Amino acid sequence: MLSEVMKLPLLELQGVTKRFGGIVAVDNVSLEIEEGDAIGIVGPNGSGKTTLYNLISGVYFPDNGRIIFDGKDITFLPAHERTPLGLARTFQIPRPFGSASVRENVAIGAMFGRAKLDVESALDIADHYLSIVGIEKLAEKEAKLLTPLEKRFMELARALAMKPKLLLLDEVMAGMNPADVDRIIEVIRRVKDEERIAVVSMVEHLMHAITRFAERVVVMHQGKKLVEGKTLDVLNDPRVVEVYLGKRVV
Amino acid sequence: MKTRSYKPLLPLFLIYSLLILIAVAVPGMWQPVAFFMFYVALGQAFNIFMGLTGYVDFGYVAFLGLGAYGMAIAIKYFSSLGLISILLGILLAVVMSILLSLAVGAVALRLRGAYFAIATIGVNEGFRYLIEGVRLWGGSEGIVLSGLMRRTFGRETANLLSTFFSDILIIAIAILAAMTTIWILNRKMGYALLALREDEDAARVMGINVTKYKIMAFITSASFAGLIGAVAWTLKLTYVFPEDVFNIHYTVEAIVIVMLGGAGTLLGPVVGGLIYGVLKYYLSVVFPGIQLLILAPMLILTIIAFPEGIVGFIKKKGKKSRISCYLR
Repeated sequence: MLSEVMKLPLLELQGVTKRFGGIVAVDNVSLEIEEGDAIGIVGPNGSGKTTLYNLISGVYFPDNGRIIFDGKDITFLPAHERTPLGLARTFQIPRPFGSASVRENVAIGAMFGRAKLDVESALDIADHYLSIVGIEKLAEKEAKLLTPLEKRFMELARALAMKPKLLLLDEVMAGMNPADVDRIIEVIRRVKDEERIAVVSMVEHLMHAITRFAERVVVMHQGKKLVEGKTLDVLNDPRVVEVYLGKRVV
Repeated sequence: MKTRSYKPLLPLFLIYSLLILIAVAVPGMWQPVAFFMFYVALGQAFNIFMGLTGYVDFGYVAFLGLGAYGMAIAIKYFSSLGLISILLGILLAVVMSILLSLAVGAVALRLRGAYFAIATIGVNEGFRYLIEGVRLWGGSEGIVLSGLMRRTFGRETANLLSTFFSDILIIAIAILAAMTTIWILNRKMGYALLALREDEDAARVMGINVTKYKIMAFITSASFAGLIGAVAWTLKLTYVFPEDVFNIHYTVEAIVIVMLGGAGTLLGPVVGGLIYGVLKYYLSVVFPGIQLLILAPMLILTIIAFPEGIVGFIKKKGKKSRISCYLR
């Protein structure tokens, strides 16, 4: 059908570049993400992954290129106006609202994200999202008292409560034990299928996790998009191996 | 606290009723209670901005000063309208402080944290020198209204206005500011302010228009300050001098009260304001002249022992107990 063929991507980056002084953190990156996609972004430290996230979520504006979300040019839209369109992200170092309870943290997501719920319903639905990620027992706890791991689960619940169309996860699985990684992957898969959320997950090292979750992988290297393609193909690509392990010397 | 709750207003009204009772029933206590209530009201008003946003406004007293001038101008030029000029003064005080808060907010609220505090120091001093320098509103001679008020309102009414009516109004302002605080806390705005106080960048990424909510809190807090200035200074003292009202000392007192009681809590300013007011009043009787010397170490100790203020501390300790729903 024509409408199928003409279907616009959910997120489109067109030649996006960001410089910090002389350093080109993100160099002419183009990327398309469809509704319900599961994408992994991998790349070593300093390859421009976090800057890419910051450009998509509006923390920075790009020097060149355009960002289109859901048919709307959001290149220079302030961060707080992007969120209601259906964007949500977590942070590499979790950023809880420390003096608020875990439930309130998640409720704030439901109040100001795409869901835009009122205070009552947001506090009610917060418990639902806490149980999805499996930390419903911590609801009353002050967020700053959580362990780093629990904070990460809370951030995921908070991002889900925003009812995003596109969820950007920043190293959400780093430092987790295999059981927790399983749980997170299961949660991400479920919300992706049930709510048609496109999930982009950024990973530095946990390659085996990415193979179990991502359908497509983008490899970043020195600010550029090095390779993009099906997960296993990409991870076996000699250029990718080289980025991670270095050139064969012998 | 899961549901919206107005229960914390109960202890608040208990404290207020008790104070009013003491003022009325105990001979000679009316003026001391009015003195305490000034600090409670000041704390309540300042808490709406500093407590809820985490920003410190060192120029805060400019709003009180401007409110005092608003009332003075209204009485001076419209006293022929009789007591309507007082209403006009209240209105003018609020309008003038809102206008100033918009001007200051539009520029300074773009700055973060300490930079905001530094930028606001100049506002208060600037206003004082402007009034004195260009001889605006009587310049450094100020506006003296006692004669005018006696002539136009009559001696009885003028007396009543400054010794009774102004005190009642201060109590009303304190109550109104407290009710506004809990109203904000229970709404989306309260959660937005909580989020931006904790982490402004994360709040923005979560869809919160931080500038909008900061300015809203700033305007609300400033209009209460204008009211306090108009009532507790002009109406009560019947004169305004620029060096008296644009005095940074009151900003510092407001900061002390909010920190002492617990920033961002509903009951904090009442507790902080009462402790500060009572100590200042009685210490100046017992050790005249050195009361501030005692208050400073006490403040340091409080901040070391209860960094979240007295109410913040009790709230934390009593989290699991039945009183928790009455604390906020």
